[in-house]
Amino acid sequence: MSPHSFFRSTSFRLLAWYVVVFGASVAILLFIVYWITLAALDEQLSDSVERETQVLVELYRARGLDSVERAIQLRAVELRPPRRYYLLQDTAGTRIAGNLPPMKPTEGEIVLPVSQLFPGRRAKPDDPADAYPVVAHGRKLDHGEFLLVGENRYRAVKAQEAIVRAFGWGIAITVLLAAGGGAVLGVGFLRRIEAINRTTRSIMDGDLSKRVPASGGGDEMDHLAINLNAMLDRIQVLMESLKQVSDDIAHDLRTPLSRLRHRLEDARVKAGSDGEVVIGQAIAELDAILETFSALLRISQIEAGARRAAFSDVSLGQIVSTVSETYAPVAEDRGQRLEAIIDRTLSIHGDRELLTQMVANLIENPISHCPAGVEITVELRQEGGRPVLCVADTGPGIPASERERVFRRFYRLEASRTTPGSGLGLALVKAVANLHGASVELSDNHPGLRVTVRFHAAGAGGARTYPARDATGVAHGVAQ
Amino acid sequence: MKILLIEDDPQTSAYVANGLREQGHVVDHSTSGRDGLFLASGGGYDVMVIDRMLPSVDGLAIVKTIRAAGVKTPVLLLTALGGVNDRVEGLEAGADDYLTKPFAFSELHARVNALARRPPMADDATVLRVGDLELNRLKRMVTRGGKRIELQPQEFRLLEYLMRNAGQVVTRTMLLENVWEFHFDPHTSVVETHISRLRAKVDREFDEELIHTVRGSGYSVSVSA
Repeated sequence: MSPHSFFRSTSFRLLAWYVVVFGASVAILLFIVYWITLAALDEQLSDSVERETQVLVELYRARGLDSVERAIQLRAVELRPPRRYYLLQDTAGTRIAGNLPPMKPTEGEIVLPVSQLFPGRRAKPDDPADAYPVVAHGRKLDHGEFLLVGENRYRAVKAQEAIVRAFGWGIAITVLLAAGGGAVLGVGFLRRIEAINRTTRSIMDGDLSKRVPASGGGDEMDHLAINLNAMLDRIQVLMESLKQVSDDIAHDLRTPLSRLRHRLEDARVKAGSDGEVVIGQAIAELDAILETFSALLRISQIEAGARRAAFSDVSLGQIVSTVSETYAPVAEDRGQRLEAIIDRTLSIHGDRELLTQMVANLIENPISHCPAGVEITVELRQEGGRPVLCVADTGPGIPASERERVFRRFYRLEASRTTPGSGLGLALVKAVANLHGASVELSDNHPGLRVTVRFHAAGAGGARTYPARDATGVAHGVAQ
Repeated sequence: MKILLIEDDPQTSAYVANGLREQGHVVDHSTSGRDGLFLASGGGYDVMVIDRMLPSVDGLAIVKTIRAAGVKTPVLLLTALGGVNDRVEGLEAGADDYLTKPFAFSELHARVNALARRPPMADDATVLRVGDLELNRLKRMVTRGGKRIELQPQEFRLLEYLMRNAGQVVTRTMLLENVWEFHFDPHTSVVETHISRLRAKVDREFDEELIHTVRGSGYSVSVSA
């Protein structure tokens, strides 16, 4: 399994979702904690400021302004944060005591930004412990003096920082754990999917005895494996019965037909000149029946794919050029011209015998269905790294509406009903192409017909992947 | 020639055996795989014709067994199975040739003849000769009466195959299989076309015809008696 395939896999997508959802829930949780903590700290702060104000107000009432002034002088020298701030000013607005600049008297709770604490010194205060906004409580005293007590938000800011740090770590660890756990699960999952893919591939290659391994854990993957295996058992039974039926038909139909043929041959020898011609025709008819019948069996067997096990690397260039050379004189004798443009270096993973027959069928079609004078072009070239075989003629062509139908068994065009042939030629071409994972396409050659067979790229796992069938990225990716 | 025939279908075996006897061969016939295997192991035959589907021991098993025992007699396997893999299986088991039922007797006879003379001669001879026609396989050169004849590669292979089986009938199917490696029946006259071109080059300018058409059977290269 390549990393490439992992990122395209279902488990990676699941894992990504897992990480996102998990991370988001942790983030929301931490956010709530953040707000609640800050609100509680701020409430505490304003409580403590208000209480301190109350204490000083009571001192004022009991002992007078001087006591308050002394108390403030004593308290305003605290060094360690959080720091307290005091202001006591007379009715004229002159500061009597405290470490804050005089200001417009405001009763109740106010928040003083850092800039207002030390006017004139705009930038940072000298002492970093002063660099926090102050929550303060103002109070008019009984004789018109103004008292302000404040405390800076040092604790709340520090708590804020701690929570943000916790946030970061929390999310990082969550994502890491989610990703790690998900990857472990995903790789296991992918490995089992790959085992299933391997099995199905070797079955497509013709080895019907392979089964998907089940871990025995009884989970969904096991159910899938068990169901797949049950399906494969069924397919194997069907394939075997197809083979059995073919063999039975072969034996029980061919044997009497053989006898019939032998008797006809005997009869021909004994019949003398009169009967000889008639019996000869009867034998020819019988041979045509037998041939159709063999072609049908052959197509079924090719479609069943049993042949893939015998694939090897074959030179497509050599096959196409040999077959073209073979048919060129045949076309010439019929007054047609066969031209071959062949890239002899091209090779694919396939079955030589079937490919030879496919190419022969493709070339025989125009030779037997086109009149004298047409030009037949056989071309084998490379297109985007894939071998492409093209057989084109300048004959009457096939109407667009009928192009798909000619691949059907026994389908024959109106025009060619009188020419010999079983109507199985293109059906066989299609079956052989499918077996090799190649596509066959009919198009207009202006004039005439052009048949194009597109193979897989040679060497790049041509026969290993079957793009028509594997819709999932996983199967394709791991086949590389 | 002494031929062993193992075939369970009485009608087919009678047809084959009678035909071969008419051609002057000695035919031993067995209807069951087990008896056939016994006879085949004994050896002493020039060619064996074995049906693939037999009761008790099947044809493939017989071929494998006698090959394992070192019997090198050429074997022609007969079969009613026309499957794409069947021929390959048969040849892999050790058979020398493979014929699908139904077949014309002439086809069987030609193949039996070709098999009987296969091992000892011709195969590695550098120069093949029929009358004044000479084919040099190394130089890939053909001359007749000392006069050089230019042949296309496929014509050369066709003539080579015919000359290797000189004096014997070679059928159309044998040519398709051995010269072109076509294991199917083409719908156009491939063999006839190539034979006629070959004839035009080999025979036309000369008094004596060397490539003969054997009616209903095939072709043969020989000096007419």
